[in-house]
Amino acid sequence: MTEQLAPPAGQQRAPERATPAVYDPPDIPGKGPTDWMGGWKWGIFAPLILLGLAIAIRVYQAFAVFPWGLDSSTTQFFWMWRMLVVAFLLGVGIFTVVWWRWILQSAKSLPQRFSRREEVRRIAVFWSLVGATSVNLYIEASFWPNQDGAFHQTLVRDTAFTVSHIPMFYLFFPLGVTLAVGTYLYGRTRLPAIYGPDKGFPWSFFLLISATVTEVAQVAMNEWGHSVNLGNAGAEEFFAVWFHWPFVLYGWLASGIFALWGETILRLYTIEDEEAADARDTVPAAAPSTTAPVRGGS
Amino acid sequence: MATATIDLEALRIRELAERRYKFIDRKWDLMFWVTAGFVVGAAANITHLLFAGDWDFWTDWKDRQWWMTITPFATIIIPSALQYIQWRAWRFPTGATYTAVCLFFCTWIGRLLQWKYFINMPINFVWSATWIPAGILTDYVLLKSRSFILTSLIGSAVWTMGFWMSNYIMQLPYLQPTRFMGHTLTVADVQGIGYIRAQTPEYLRVIEHGSLRTFLQETQYVSLAFGTTLCVFGYWVGQFLGRRLAVWPILKYLKQY
Repeated sequence: MTEQLAPPAGQQRAPERATPAVYDPPDIPGKGPTDWMGGWKWGIFAPLILLGLAIAIRVYQAFAVFPWGLDSSTTQFFWMWRMLVVAFLLGVGIFTVVWWRWILQSAKSLPQRFSRREEVRRIAVFWSLVGATSVNLYIEASFWPNQDGAFHQTLVRDTAFTVSHIPMFYLFFPLGVTLAVGTYLYGRTRLPAIYGPDKGFPWSFFLLISATVTEVAQVAMNEWGHSVNLGNAGAEEFFAVWFHWPFVLYGWLASGIFALWGETILRLYTIEDEEAADARDTVPAAAPSTTAPVRGGS
Repeated sequence: MATATIDLEALRIRELAERRYKFIDRKWDLMFWVTAGFVVGAAANITHLLFAGDWDFWTDWKDRQWWMTITPFATIIIPSALQYIQWRAWRFPTGATYTAVCLFFCTWIGRLLQWKYFINMPINFVWSATWIPAGILTDYVLLKSRSFILTSLIGSAVWTMGFWMSNYIMQLPYLQPTRFMGHTLTVADVQGIGYIRAQTPEYLRVIEHGSLRTFLQETQYVSLAFGTTLCVFGYWVGQFLGRRLAVWPILKYLKQY
């Protein structure tokens, strides 16, 4: 048995603090934790926004590449393409600051205790952000690289800022970092049972964030490699050149995204087990049927 | 005794299958399989593009020497990782097929939007190879063998042969001989001459130029055998990705701060 110690003389006992109430989100039809317009809302809208952005840029290219996008020395190229780099980097930068700040600031006013329903809703939002990151990875690792191959193997490259590089390297690559880190901040502040500060930094996010950061860093080596390649007599474009391979090696680190799904689905099963245990505790003992024969007893 | 164990296992599985959850429903499955498809397709596509893409972009580059040697290696890596993940999580022998289907959508969106409608190359010059038949066959090997070691050995050969056989059918019409400016060329060579690619090797250079060419008709079989060997290595690279980077990190933490 433990013995309760008396407080030292002269030290006042801290006032008893009331246990904070458990927050449970209001039950609005169609906007529950696992409803499409509830917890899953961003799982639909975020990927659509990203795909819409990629398609909108592709439509812009259809009109603006061949008249003004082939000669980097022209004034038109400067205004229609180089300035796009500035606009993309500024846009991503502003979005990053605003979104990350909102995640961190709004976390301060979140209720300390919340219901299982609320946790499930947060996991659904988390999955939506992971899904958006996955779609962004598709856009930066398949949608634009395919264009990069088509463009550079058929048209002469005279700048590092070609029209196929601009949306890929300077919009969707940095956006990958924004989404991966933002998803981690959301998990750290909203899902303490899995990603709370007391747990430590998860390997899963370490790998995913490393993938997005090293992809951005690899752009520099890629352009350096192309400057060497263009200086040689061949001046040919091969996709399978050595200085492209780090894009692949770094991209493999994104395998950690599967660990995010794994970690959260395990938490979901724990929540379901707790719900089932509660349901068992509250169900009244079954009364014997009046028609069934009673066996045993005295 | 054995029957009783099997019955207990069957009961446990039935109980799991019939369990009613409060929050987990089919929406979670849908969100996972659809959104994971993007990252799987992207990983498979970028690995293929940057390790072996040149040999798949154009019909005249789909040769007997490099196309079938390095493409199976480059394209088995992600299917192998997915085989491990899906087999480990659900005992689904579907990882290679799932990856091949995701890759199908990614490559064809790329070929249509970027090659055909961006730089105006005809699709019968820039069509993408397929990996779906090879994926089904490789998953079948895992299903029957229930072993990653056997799948790496047998499945790699199946993947390489499946890739070659399913794509040779599509490539065959472009390998027919034709006369062009007094020379005998393949239809694919004529396409390469007709559609200018300013930044690739000029059309007068023979793509298939190694000394392996002296083996004449045997070239493709030698290449397939070597492709299979490389494919075994690629399979274990994929297993490393699936085991150490996708599954091992679950609930592992670096440090507290």
